[in-house]
Amino acid sequence: MRAFRALTLNTVRAGFRNRIALFFTLGLAVLFMVIFGELFGGSNFSVTYGVVDHDGSTQSQQFVAALRGIKGVTVNTGTRAAEIDDLRNNHVDVVVEIPHGFGAALTAPGAPAVSVVPIQASQTSSSASIADQILGHVLSGFAARGAAPPVTLATPVSSSVNNVTAIDYFLPAMLAYIILQSGINYVAIGLADLRARRVLRRFRATPLRPAQILGAQIAGGALTVILQLIVLAAIGLTFFQAKIYGSWFVAAVPMLLGVAAFVGIGFLLTSAARTSESARGLSSFVAFPMMFLSGVFFPITTLPGWLQTTVHVLPLTWLTDALHRVMNDGVGLDAIALDCLVLAGWAVVTFAIATWRFRWD
Amino acid sequence: MISANGLLKRYGALVAVDGISFSVETGEIFGMLGPNGAGKTTTMEMLEGLREPDEGSATVLGSDVVREARAIKTRIGVQLQATALPPLTRVREAIDLFGALFPTARSTDDMLREFDLESKATTYATELSGGQMQRLSIALALVNDPDVVFLDEPTTGLDPQARLNIWDVIEDVRRRGKTVVLTTHNMEEAERLCSRIAVIDHGRIVALGTPASLIAAHAPGTTIEFDAPHGVDEEALAKIEGVDKVTVDARVAVSTRAPERVLRELLDPDAHWLRRGDDGQAAGIRDLRVRQGTLEDVFIALTGRSLRT
Repeated sequence: MRAFRALTLNTVRAGFRNRIALFFTLGLAVLFMVIFGELFGGSNFSVTYGVVDHDGSTQSQQFVAALRGIKGVTVNTGTRAAEIDDLRNNHVDVVVEIPHGFGAALTAPGAPAVSVVPIQASQTSSSASIADQILGHVLSGFAARGAAPPVTLATPVSSSVNNVTAIDYFLPAMLAYIILQSGINYVAIGLADLRARRVLRRFRATPLRPAQILGAQIAGGALTVILQLIVLAAIGLTFFQAKIYGSWFVAAVPMLLGVAAFVGIGFLLTSAARTSESARGLSSFVAFPMMFLSGVFFPITTLPGWLQTTVHVLPLTWLTDALHRVMNDGVGLDAIALDCLVLAGWAVVTFAIATWRFRWD
Repeated sequence: MISANGLLKRYGALVAVDGISFSVETGEIFGMLGPNGAGKTTTMEMLEGLREPDEGSATVLGSDVVREARAIKTRIGVQLQATALPPLTRVREAIDLFGALFPTARSTDDMLREFDLESKATTYATELSGGQMQRLSIALALVNDPDVVFLDEPTTGLDPQARLNIWDVIEDVRRRGKTVVLTTHNMEEAERLCSRIAVIDHGRIVALGTPASLIAAHAPGTTIEFDAPHGVDEEALAKIEGVDKVTVDARVAVSTRAPERVLRELLDPDAHWLRRGDDGQAAGIRDLRVRQGTLEDVFIALTGRSLRT
């Protein structure tokens, strides 16, 4: 046991000293969070509304002022034709039409309900969806003050129960990314290198059992991933103010199963490759498509239908899904049982095949 | 200490080790000398419990290398060819790590001092010079204070200075009562270090004995080498009294057990066995060298090939 522990800890230490591997795991994950945080929700976020005020009441002016008061928001006002023109030329992100009767709906009991209509150039752009969220937020503040007939937003945008920001969405995605990359970098490539450089053979000349030698390398890889997950979560929560709506204890279950699955895949890649070069090549071949297709960087729903079916075979799809649902939607373990089962299945199958096919040289 | 009995190892159709038998006594430095691919490393790895022989058997320290491999591994020290260490590990950490892999180990500080690595304790192993790396790898082989140490080509690739240093280290190891088994394709190393040598070629032991006995048996006498500008009459040269053998390559080599008599003949500028130039003038021999037989000669005599090829 002492020998196993010493070998495992040596592997973890070497893992954290390996700057290249560290860059591709923790480093890139943090970098992605910075980039996406800036793009979609960071402090430099800005949105420009073009408001067309058909009502011209005190209330509609107060609404425009409230919108203006939000950090990063710019509001232009003008005629419908002028604002639509600005929207076409990308001078404004969203045109907002305040209908006749807006003020009346807020002040006079019994007045008919009205809807504020946002007009967007593209339904899918992220900045537009955030613009909608801000609009809805301001509007709901107004509606609360108002009288009986509610003022509503014509197209409700946020389908999520929680008010999930870009960084809240990217933190679970990046945790999944680290699990994928670590399994590749620390096990597939790491183990293949040890074998090619005859380090494994050198260990076999000690009283260690073969299973202890392999086990220590794999445990060391898994431990390295787990430590990186803790570091990344801490960075996300403190520096990026990411919010987690579910329980960390629930999230830990798919994460640990994911670590097992991807360490298993790494081990399998070592067994499949004869040299460390081919282990590297195979790893990229496996990691890159998964990274881009499994919902880490953009939702799976944007993929064509046939591809959506295909990516549901990949373990990263299930891991990303489980983490999003626990951390963003706040679901419990029962809701992600299938995801966990698939990940566990991947772990069992890859370890079984890898152990069976592994060659010492 | 060690006894090998008809060890045989095949890799597919290739018979890498073809029935090797020998024994090693306590306190010996036993050398396996032979060219690359002769089967030295495979033989050693069978004794270390790293490879199972296809035929034959061997015992190390009284234990069977196949059935009791783990018991053997706690009591032997191993240095593999082209030393392999885990990546991004410092010298002190490497000694600590390998110490932790054995039930008992010597103190890391002692090892650093003994192998002159104290100043390199916090250096990454990959940044050591060739000689330092070899010292570390021998230190790692000795960290469990083994009774037998296996060193696979301990000086290959080192510069002459570092090689001399490693020879001192190995002699120190023997002085402390360890038995050493080493492989080499350097005859000087074998001659200087080894109490006994097995000359191995194509997976077989072609000769076994002390360096002196091997030379006496297979490369007796003296070799006289020289250049002849216009060539020599090989037959006439061979008939000179006292000449045992003549080989003409780039240089002429004459083997003899009566060097004084033969030299007198060779130094005659008008000798009848010297070919003359186009002008009919004789030219004496040049660049004369006289040397005693070496293990290199033993190897050539036994296999017809040079060790270095």
